[in-house]
Amino acid sequence: MRLTSLTLLVMLVAAAAVTLLRSPIGYAAQDRNHIAEGSTSKHWVGTDDLGRDRGVRVSVALLIGLAGAVSASALAAALSATIGVTAAFAPRAVASLLMYASDLFLTLPWLFLLMMVRSALPLTMAPMESAGVTFLLLALLGWPAYTGISYARALALRNAEWLIHARAGGLRPSQIARYHVLPHLSPLLLSQFLICIPACLVAEANLGTLGLGISEPLPSWGSMLLSLENTSVLAGSAWVFLPIVLLVAILLLLELLVFEA
Amino acid sequence: MRRSAGRVSTRLARVASLVLLAALGTITLMRFAPGYFTDVREVDGKYGNGARAALNIQQEEQGSAITLTTHLLGNWLRGDLGRSRQYDIPVTELIGSRAKVTLRLLLSGMAFGWLLALALALALSARKTAAGEAMIAGPSAILLAIPIAAMATTCLLLNVGGPVLVLTTLIGIRDFKSIYRLLRLTWKSPYLLYARSQGIRSSRITFIYLLPALTAELRALAVTSFVIALSAIVPVEVIFDLPGLGQLAWSAAMNRDLPVLLAVTLLMAACIGLAGMVSTSARTIEVTPCA
Repeated sequence: MRLTSLTLLVMLVAAAAVTLLRSPIGYAAQDRNHIAEGSTSKHWVGTDDLGRDRGVRVSVALLIGLAGAVSASALAAALSATIGVTAAFAPRAVASLLMYASDLFLTLPWLFLLMMVRSALPLTMAPMESAGVTFLLLALLGWPAYTGISYARALALRNAEWLIHARAGGLRPSQIARYHVLPHLSPLLLSQFLICIPACLVAEANLGTLGLGISEPLPSWGSMLLSLENTSVLAGSAWVFLPIVLLVAILLLLELLVFEA
Repeated sequence: MRRSAGRVSTRLARVASLVLLAALGTITLMRFAPGYFTDVREVDGKYGNGARAALNIQQEEQGSAITLTTHLLGNWLRGDLGRSRQYDIPVTELIGSRAKVTLRLLLSGMAFGWLLALALALALSARKTAAGEAMIAGPSAILLAIPIAAMATTCLLLNVGGPVLVLTTLIGIRDFKSIYRLLRLTWKSPYLLYARSQGIRSSRITFIYLLPALTAELRALAVTSFVIALSAIVPVEVIFDLPGLGQLAWSAAMNRDLPVLLAVTLLMAACIGLAGMVSTSARTIEVTPCA
């Protein structure tokens, strides 16, 4: 099952990449003669309300969404591991302070905080920068959820007899962390990383629907869901539902991957 | 009793300090946001030069982060949450009128969601059947994969249900999975197997032995679903055009009405902190006599 979902995900990414490579038009190019159309020989999956090719836009959204979610999840997992391991091996006061910071982040309602930070950013931000900032924010707000468990696991390792032997043998903290603690934490970090990917995709889609995610004209799942609120577009073709169908399919495949892992 | 009260007051102090730290962080963020000094009143024709000069003086007075923090915290302690830049009315008035709508939506969504989750989990966990599980597993996996905004948009487009249905589905499906797993594990407990072997009816076991034993876990789960529901109210209220706190926060974010956004964010942080405190305090009190 894991292999099947991974293969399907890779196929979707490959299809998106091929679409982009073969298409002569960009994601922002407008074809004013073919607005909100269904499938044609020129635009296989139709165009949106501004005459932009839907296939190209969905492909870009898929690639940016997945790349951003994977990077944000990797950063969140790395941050949670670093802070958890540091807290476990640091003096008690430092550990309490780090865990307190983690609690503080957990106390904050993430969507409200994301809205707060996004609204505080300049209005003139370039679309690519807005994508980077959105996923960076998701990573920075995602780490506390897993720090507690990383800390608990690292603390158990620190108190293990074999690690006490290693410390007594004169190994430096960096060596202990690199060669002994991190390899033991890797299964936990892998599952955290995998759980975080769909969460980041959903968060970006929700934020984009509120108009606070990746800025136009760069396509994203959120902006495409937002366009569904325009009922006149819906009358044009059933292809308008392609983004939502693809997003749900990707999330289901990722869920299967997480479940199997 | 005294020890329990002490624990509760410690947790209350912890929540208060967390909210205070969150307030300091968000005030700093707000102060250094580009466009913080932009005021829509400056371009409004009805304000004369004198009024604009007064606005500039007010901005200069609150220029530094420390002055702003002291000013805002002092006002909050007096119950003044500031004035909305967008609507030009006190933030307390805005929040007061919209809190009722959000509270009603949250309560109905959570109540129906929990009823759905409990009913499904109890019905399926008592007698585990492959057909029953398969019937639920597919739709629940699909519904869980749909972002809340997409679910709300689909409901609106198909003209089916409303905000309560979306929130009920979200809470119901998420909690069903957790409650079902919890119930399946508990049904395998030796004392429940013994009770079943004695011929006690499943319904009697459920209400007399099973559910009371899971009170702490269910309470913790209720807190989690409360946090999820709080985050979900923003897209739900925006898409269904409901005048609640979520829509207010979104409108404040879009129009850079930072005093309103700050007040709503802190209100939500306090709610989440208190909900977490209630959950952990209750668990400690329950565990103490056995220890």
